[in-house]
Amino acid sequence: MSASLKILHLFPRLLGLNGESGNVDILRLRSEWRGLPVEITRHDGGASAGFGEADLVFIGSGPTSAQLLAHPLVLDVAAELRELAADGRPFLAIGAGFQLLGQTIALEGGDVLEGAGVFPVATRHGGTRVVGDFVVESPRLGTVVGFENRGSFVDVGPHGTLGRVVYGRGNTETPFEEGFWEDNLLGTHMHGPILANNPGLADSLLDTARTRRGLSYTDPAPERLREIDDRAREARGTIAAAPLSE
Amino acid sequence: MALRTTAAVLVGRAVRVAARLRGGGSAIPGNIALRIDPGFLERTIARIPHGVVAVSGSNGKSTTTNMLAAIIRAHGLSVFTNPSGGNLPQGIASALLSEVSAGGRLNKDIAILEIDEGYGTRLAELLKPRTVLLLNIQIDQLNRYHEPDRVATMLGRVATASTDGLILNREDNFLVDMDARIPGRSGRRVSFFGGVPSLVDDASHGVASADRFDEGSAVPGSRAAAVEVVALDGARATLAIDPWTADGETGDSDAAGDAPSRTEIEVRLPARGMHYALDAAGAAATARSVLGERFRPELVTRALDTLETVYGRGEMLEVAGEQIEIIMMKNPASLQLNLDSLEGAPEQVFLAVDEGTPDPSWIYDIDFSALDHVDGITGSKAWQFAVRFGYLGIPVGEVDLDVRRALKAFLARPKPATGHKVMILNYEQMMLIRKILGFKELEGGGAA
Repeated sequence: MSASLKILHLFPRLLGLNGESGNVDILRLRSEWRGLPVEITRHDGGASAGFGEADLVFIGSGPTSAQLLAHPLVLDVAAELRELAADGRPFLAIGAGFQLLGQTIALEGGDVLEGAGVFPVATRHGGTRVVGDFVVESPRLGTVVGFENRGSFVDVGPHGTLGRVVYGRGNTETPFEEGFWEDNLLGTHMHGPILANNPGLADSLLDTARTRRGLSYTDPAPERLREIDDRAREARGTIAAAPLSE
Repeated sequence: MALRTTAAVLVGRAVRVAARLRGGGSAIPGNIALRIDPGFLERTIARIPHGVVAVSGSNGKSTTTNMLAAIIRAHGLSVFTNPSGGNLPQGIASALLSEVSAGGRLNKDIAILEIDEGYGTRLAELLKPRTVLLLNIQIDQLNRYHEPDRVATMLGRVATASTDGLILNREDNFLVDMDARIPGRSGRRVSFFGGVPSLVDDASHGVASADRFDEGSAVPGSRAAAVEVVALDGARATLAIDPWTADGETGDSDAAGDAPSRTEIEVRLPARGMHYALDAAGAAATARSVLGERFRPELVTRALDTLETVYGRGEMLEVAGEQIEIIMMKNPASLQLNLDSLEGAPEQVFLAVDEGTPDPSWIYDIDFSALDHVDGITGSKAWQFAVRFGYLGIPVGEVDLDVRRALKAFLARPKPATGHKVMILNYEQMMLIRKILGFKELEGGGAA
């Protein structure tokens, strides 16, 4: 077996409304440019082939219509996903995908969907939709920026989060904390290619995956990543300096 | 009431003159007129003899409205239309101000109005369109509409308002069966436009229709088209047009192409690209629906031959003796389709994107392989684009958030050996850069 990282991309067809497949490309390139090859398995439903080998799991966001279609497909593989999570494989879950991997989703009509139970969180659809730049201060990574577009609340209980909201709303009515981040599990409503603006987050996920497998990079700091990371720092600075919302 | 209307018109006009002197039109005059006389727009429009044709969809509204107005004028009717971008109530009211008498009368036969999909429901109530043309539903401004399904619902309400004619793009995932998803209405003719499968499939990203996750009752392309794009050669397209029949059409007859009596015409497009050919087909199908037996296919050719392009839609600007092609990136679909229609990677290319595109996440869904480098990027989103190009391995010359300085540096670059320079701009940057370059005549508003 050649040494490569395996990324499992869940429901790329249904859940990828906001350019979120960009996150998977970014993870792949950041590893490959450092000399560690990556294989990507895309799962759009059906048998959970190749799940056991996954080193990192990604699930993106989508409209409610797509979320409802993805729901039974997620439940089909829920047990396997919980096993992967318990085994320390890093997860990045965004928006609708984060909600589906939680415990419950209360829909606006009153129905409550059961989630995959990977994340100990509960979602409630409703409230005023929040749309705009999103700035979060993460104790581990510093300033994390992106875009927030959600019409729901997520209750993460006493658990750890991505960080404190500096601009935007965050998990609940009270602007305070955003997302869920404990050990290998990271979930957020900072949608779109969150890893583009925040390469530190990508590296953290890759490090968790690599360390578990005992894999190392041959070239940890290639020039072209340094250049991209400089640009990402400028992008974060531009957004954080003058965040806007509707 | 008459006095109120007169006041609305006169004050609105005065504001309009003041705004023009300052170097730009806007929606403000219309806004003021509507405050003085809230019924001004509705009442004036209701008096137009042939009523209102509403054009909506994610992309191509301005181009198609422009084409349709020209085709209808070529048939001898006088047309009231809103300038591109002025597609909210206040923008339409602003456009009315320059055309009405002080008493609020409009001396036109028909109104052809592009309407913003987000305001579609409100505008449909206000304007009561007899005919509705829906172009497409593409991934567009998710920050504003959240998801394509919502846009489909909004446009469904506009379609429902049509009394005489409904014209739909059969290549669009959401529009192909729109007629079956809205309440039927006797006397409403439904017709379709589209392209032959080889052309639709050949466009490298198809027609960029948004994914639809519920079950449709018809597959895109399956409805018979009253107007079909049958050939495309650069910026010229051939349209095949069904003869008009008095007993209407359902779009359900056997595959188009069999009818021996179809008329083929050649038309000039604003620029290369299948999306422009479909816009022309939509405009022709709508003119056919509105005019009925008075419709003359050859007048479509004549009208489109002499049409001026709408700002930023395949427009070529001349700056200091140099040709610059403007590509407007309004949303993912328009950017992708315009990139696909480039003839080879541009030698000199500049990109400017600002807060008018609040969330550029979707650039990770765009295939940028039509570019082999970018010379300069500006606007507040510049660094986010620079990151994307970094991961794509597309070299980036200079990133400078100062638009004037970046523009100056780009214009100073050597003339391309072949062809022209290319600027890829979002709407707001296009307006700003036109102004910086001294193109004073701005659009009628709508961005307010």
